[in-house]
Amino acid sequence: MSDSYEITMKILRYDPSTKKRWTQQYRLQAGGILRLTDLFRKINMEQDPSLAWNSSCEHGQCGSCAVKVNGKPLLACELLVANAVKLFGINQFFIEPISVGPVVRDLIVDLEPAYGRVESLKPYIMKRKENLYGTAEYRIAPQEMESYLEATRCINCFCCATACMSGPKNFLGPNAIMASMVRVLDPREAATEQRLSVLHGPEGVRHCHTSRACSQVCPKEIDVAHYVALAKAAQTKKHRET
Amino acid sequence: MKLRLSKTISCDLLILGAGGAGLRCAAEVLEKRPGTKVVAITKVAHPQKSHTSTAQGGLAAVDPKDPVDKPVYHMFDTWKGSDCMADQNVVRKIVEAGWDEILWLENRGMHFSRDMDGRLAKRTFGGHTINFGEASAYRAVFEADRTGKGIMDTLWGEVLRGGISFIHQSMATELLFSGERCAGAMVFCQKSGEFVAIKAKAVVLAMGGCGQVFKVTTNCRQNTGDHLSLAVQAGLPVMDPEAVQFHPTGIVGPGILASETLRSVGGILRNRDLEAFMEKYAPKMRELAPRDLVARAIETEIREGKGVFNQDHSIEHVWIDLRHLPEHVHRTQIPEVASFFKKFVNVDSRKELCPIRPSNHYHMGGVPTNSDGEVLRDPQKTVPGLFAVGECACASFHGFNRLGTNSLLELITMGRFAGQKALEYLEGELPELCGDIGENTFQTFAAYLQTKGQAKVGDVREKLRALMTEKVGVFRVEGGLREAVTQIAELKAQAMEIALVTRDLAMNQELVERWELDNLLTSAMLIATGALHRKDSRGGHFREDYPQRSPDLDSHSLLYMEEFGKVKIEKKPVDMSLFNEGGPHAEKFGMIERKY
Repeated sequence: MSDSYEITMKILRYDPSTKKRWTQQYRLQAGGILRLTDLFRKINMEQDPSLAWNSSCEHGQCGSCAVKVNGKPLLACELLVANAVKLFGINQFFIEPISVGPVVRDLIVDLEPAYGRVESLKPYIMKRKENLYGTAEYRIAPQEMESYLEATRCINCFCCATACMSGPKNFLGPNAIMASMVRVLDPREAATEQRLSVLHGPEGVRHCHTSRACSQVCPKEIDVAHYVALAKAAQTKKHRET
Repeated sequence: MKLRLSKTISCDLLILGAGGAGLRCAAEVLEKRPGTKVVAITKVAHPQKSHTSTAQGGLAAVDPKDPVDKPVYHMFDTWKGSDCMADQNVVRKIVEAGWDEILWLENRGMHFSRDMDGRLAKRTFGGHTINFGEASAYRAVFEADRTGKGIMDTLWGEVLRGGISFIHQSMATELLFSGERCAGAMVFCQKSGEFVAIKAKAVVLAMGGCGQVFKVTTNCRQNTGDHLSLAVQAGLPVMDPEAVQFHPTGIVGPGILASETLRSVGGILRNRDLEAFMEKYAPKMRELAPRDLVARAIETEIREGKGVFNQDHSIEHVWIDLRHLPEHVHRTQIPEVASFFKKFVNVDSRKELCPIRPSNHYHMGGVPTNSDGEVLRDPQKTVPGLFAVGECACASFHGFNRLGTNSLLELITMGRFAGQKALEYLEGELPELCGDIGENTFQTFAAYLQTKGQAKVGDVREKLRALMTEKVGVFRVEGGLREAVTQIAELKAQAMEIALVTRDLAMNQELVERWELDNLLTSAMLIATGALHRKDSRGGHFREDYPQRSPDLDSHSLLYMEEFGKVKIEKKPVDMSLFNEGGPHAEKFGMIERKY
């Protein structure tokens, strides 16, 4: 079965009562099939109950446990020790919070501003197209859904926004743009123009550097950059038409 | 140390828990009464992180356009699956409302999977049949393998549109009353470390389950039975807590669900000696026998010393062998689950044996309600202004065993019913709170922060989880249950000796886990006492010393526990209105045998 690894975890810590920030080192012996969330729990149980970290489902479906490991944003519940050693070629991991909002304590980030950006783009049907409402469901061919279905798998873990070169300051961010593009492409949505005008507005796609970092780090392997590109393409098309 | 109230806020409707059931309730109220001030409390960072989001399979509902399926078949399947413990008035109400809910979700943008004509696709699921067991029913609509996420995302959008206020990463620590009427709750906001009293005209408990009480569970980290504690502390009962469902094939370690599909495509369960043991337990059905039977077979092998132990997971398991299946089956029929094995235990299901064991999955019991979601104080009386929906509630749609895809149906329909009923309270005045607001909460939390001692939260929690898995799990027996009750009380005493390292209030994870531990202990005590009291076997509850169903116990149990370990039990009859009304298929709704 699995091997045992000598692991060093260097964790960036923050104490809100003293506003102190420091790096704390933990050494631990861990089986290769343990995950990073298991290691956090192990640290809490065996060495330091004060280390604070976030998680919920712990099987890659909710995105609560996103952290940066050796600079790479990922889900702590999905990274097995053996795979981490293979991925980074080293048994030492530097772990810090994702950078999309203020740190509340240790690895826990206040997601309010980050989710605020998604919510400002209205992740629902703003204006329903007339279609049998109240009598039955809309009819949508599977081929028609293909254009946006992949994007509905996004769990808003903010790994892409963390990796994004533009940062969250004046930019809505790749996941928020993708959520809006889902509704642009959804045949039930009538407010397409209104959505595109926001995506093409001051905090929209113009900030994207097309580095594709978002796609490269997505734990769900969604091609996030593709949806940002679709938003840009819509703008180009509009320019040509006018 | 003196803890104090930071502020008091008021709203019309207070929802405790922002998963599927809570948000469906909120959406109903915001649609029917625009401008209603709704506040929802969630323990997670954002409602999208709720446990509902992890539901995979589907959502059962009978399409009125379906030429073969009928609501009465769905009612029968649910009744039979429940081992004759579901309340039939609730079964009828939910089943009849099902399709309207599907349309509601679809019209609001849920991305249901479609058939080639663009209509909602449907698939079969275990226990769902047409014509009273004749053949499998195509009854479950779904969004790929992420139906729960589809529901959550849709509901989140709808309540945002309606103008809900969320208080994230916060938890309700105490229900507040105005006389008999529930009029709000104390809330601890984790990020700021503030205690807030929230006054409301109606309060909805929608806090999910208590799966973390077991060592291996498919549940989220925050499902710690907080609702059961809130209820019993307020002097309210909990119904049928012993009705716990174990899924036979959880991926050992993380407890991730490995779908039934693995067995239906030909996966073989093997013990340590690689013997295909299901032949011994169900010679005809083997791996395809019902969930509870397969779970008991696996546990028996483990108990007989034929399990496999891996130190990293520190719990025994057996194998599911998928190596003989053709490449295309791995690629096209089980890609998602195969990827789980790869991702979470580093096993290639095409070449290696995959480790699985029975995992806690769902709690059929909970805070008792009527068919409108109103919480019951006793078998006859409701608590004015208080509702409970979703897994935390027990309107008893599932009885003692839940069918796959019925939980999502239950949580959205009951959410809607509770919302409709809550509207009646919203027109009146805001009730005044009585007593020392939040005093119980302050005393409890001050004690957590001040206690000096050697015990540790993690130690006590893991001991409790191991104890519950061993003695109150798939198999239960008088002696073991008695030991469990005694040991849970001992663990409660140990918990009183826990000293916390982090002593300030803001984002104090230790403090939250300490509070959750008390809730786990309360939940464990209720489950173990309920199981000890119920001297028969039905659905998810299996007593080795009483392996048959007993007609003397054809009723629900209401457990009251105002003081830890002192449990008072009352009975509540099972509603058998479909049987008693004598309709065309009434005989199907009697005390029938659960045979498949």
